[in-house]
Amino acid sequence: MMDTQILEVINVTREAAWLPWAVQYFFLIGLSVGGVLLSLPGYAFARDGWRPLGRLALIVALTCGLAAPVALLSDLHQPGRFWHFYVVFRPTSWMWWGSLFIPLYIGALLLYGWACLREELWAHGRIDSRLAGLYRLAALGGGRNDRLIRAAGLLVLAGAALVALYTGVEVAVVKARPLWHTPFLPLQFLTTALAGAAGLVLILNRTVGGADRRVEVRGNRLLAGALAAVMLCGGLWLWLGLSGLDAGHAAALESVAGSEAWRVTAVWAVAATVVPFVIAIGWPAGTGWLTGLIAVHSAWMFRWTVFIGGQTVPKTGAGFYDYALPAGPDGLLGIVGTAGLWLFLLILLTSVLPTPHRPADGRRAPLPPHGTAVPAE
Amino acid sequence: MDRSRRNFCLGAGAAAVGAATLAAAPSDAAPSGTVAGVAAARTGGDPAHRWAMVVDVRKCVGCQACTVACIMENDVPENSFRTIVSTYEVTEQDKAGSYMLPRLCNHCEDPPCIPVCPTGATFQRTDGIVVVDNTVCVGCAYCVQACPYDARFINHNSQTADKCTFCVHRVDAGLLPACVETCVGGARVFGDLKDPASAVSRLVREADPKVLKPEQGTQPRVFYIGLDPRFQGKVDGTPTLWRPSAHTERSHAGKEHA
Ligand code: SF4
Ligand code: SF4
Repeated sequence: MMDTQILEVINVTREAAWLPWAVQYFFLIGLSVGGVLLSLPGYAFARDGWRPLGRLALIVALTCGLAAPVALLSDLHQPGRFWHFYVVFRPTSWMWWGSLFIPLYIGALLLYGWACLREELWAHGRIDSRLAGLYRLAALGGGRNDRLIRAAGLLVLAGAALVALYTGVEVAVVKARPLWHTPFLPLQFLTTALAGAAGLVLILNRTVGGADRRVEVRGNRLLAGALAAVMLCGGLWLWLGLSGLDAGHAAALESVAGSEAWRVTAVWAVAATVVPFVIAIGWPAGTGWLTGLIAVHSAWMFRWTVFIGGQTVPKTGAGFYDYALPAGPDGLLGIVGTAGLWLFLLILLTSVLPTPHRPADGRRAPLPPHGTAVPAE
Repeated sequence: MDRSRRNFCLGAGAAAVGAATLAAAPSDAAPSGTVAGVAAARTGGDPAHRWAMVVDVRKCVGCQACTVACIMENDVPENSFRTIVSTYEVTEQDKAGSYMLPRLCNHCEDPPCIPVCPTGATFQRTDGIVVVDNTVCVGCAYCVQACPYDARFINHNSQTADKCTFCVHRVDAGLLPACVETCVGGARVFGDLKDPASAVSRLVREADPKVLKPEQGTQPRVFYIGLDPRFQGKVDGTPTLWRPSAHTERSHAGKEHA
């Protein structure tokens, strides 16, 4: 190669067209899917020892799942036209499939959440309070029904699988962005989502939950497992890129390898995976706050890097585009707003259904048999 | 070249006028589409033509007259561009020179921006021109991601996807695209690939033009004569000294720093 220097004098900067709203959406919907998966043993498989953790995971699934579509809608530049998705048949577009999967998933999630929490609604309906009637109404006159939970669990699992599939593939099919165009991306989204959900469970355990030590230890073990999967995917991706075995992965790596900012991000990402992994394995008790916060942060960072970072790589121009986080709704306000919505949903849900007190062995207090006359008011 | 451009005007006019049933709307904010409008099959254009452009980069003087003409013709918002002449300083063995590369939508034969569109707002007319119906587009920007050429952007007046349309409204009226009409160096040649006698057909046949990023399999219908391979894909160089950018100045309306 001759000694050539190319200096770009005039070119266009293409702004990031997927905004921080998109980061929030992929983060929240991922955590919701992760929450569903973590809740299944305790509820759908009726393993009572998993119930306390499953309950927190269910709260993660519900609060994140309900906040996510708001972020998604806000990422459309014409949100009022969202119905345009539903009057066409566009099977070549993964986003179009997503517009079908999201309501299916959210619908199934609400049904599953209700089926799981029905027992608690019913129990609240038996307490002498002014709201007892409302609780009984919400419980639709019944308590725990494991068959219903299992059936709804199957539905929500199918919905979660479709959402995990579409959110990953939607981005991975974009051949124009080598960083996105990898079969690892859907797996990376899923594994980081699981880690993030486990992290949020650990945080909720210390805040709205009962600071249950067994939940913490189990949550940390799950987190370590998810982080191991994250490292495996990341390692394979890196190896494919470095070894040059696959031209696409080599191109992806090459597109960012020269950038100092990207190297810092990479080191940061590795640290935010390895550190909580080591802590979760070595000291699973008493560290839930720390590992949880790092894990949630790292799941968010991954999406920020993929979406916002990925869009700063020009497709034709030299170097990188600058990205400055705007303060308004397209930036900071969007991030804070979605976080606020999530917090509101959390407060709402945990006010309506406060964490039940549990006997020391972690099993449920026995409930009266189905159909018992309920004294109230 | 000039003669061919004029020939195009005279020859194509009669055939094209009235043939189009759907012209891409210019970039004004438009009301939401009707159900019928959204669901309708989107075609338009005359299948007897296949419009294309040949850019002879050796003739481009980098004056950006095309950039400005496009902005005026299509009411492109401030700091957004449907076409721009990327300009590079190339230093080789202590000798510095300029390299100009006019960029625009390639109106690809196999455009990756179309299959991803969840609403069908982006479509290809039967004459090959790729357009966006901005009364249907939801502004999801999936197409912006999918285009390998950074040819698309979100127009913040209409809040929908925007890009070069080959000046479809002019073509349908038998006129040349504004950038071609105004090109000082005669570097941009526009015409019909289905007409073997057209200037673009002849150039494609005889001048062995190249396309950008051929490995993407998009089959661009904007060809380049004198395309330096170092500029065929993502340019490996020092990023620009000056890029139009508004994101520091504006808050909401100024999402763009295109
Ligand atoms: S250049 Fe980009 S926007 Fe134009 S047709 Fe090709 S893929 Fe679509
Ligand atoms: S932004 Fe692009 S992909 Fe999305 S609806 Fe509009 S034209 Fe289609």
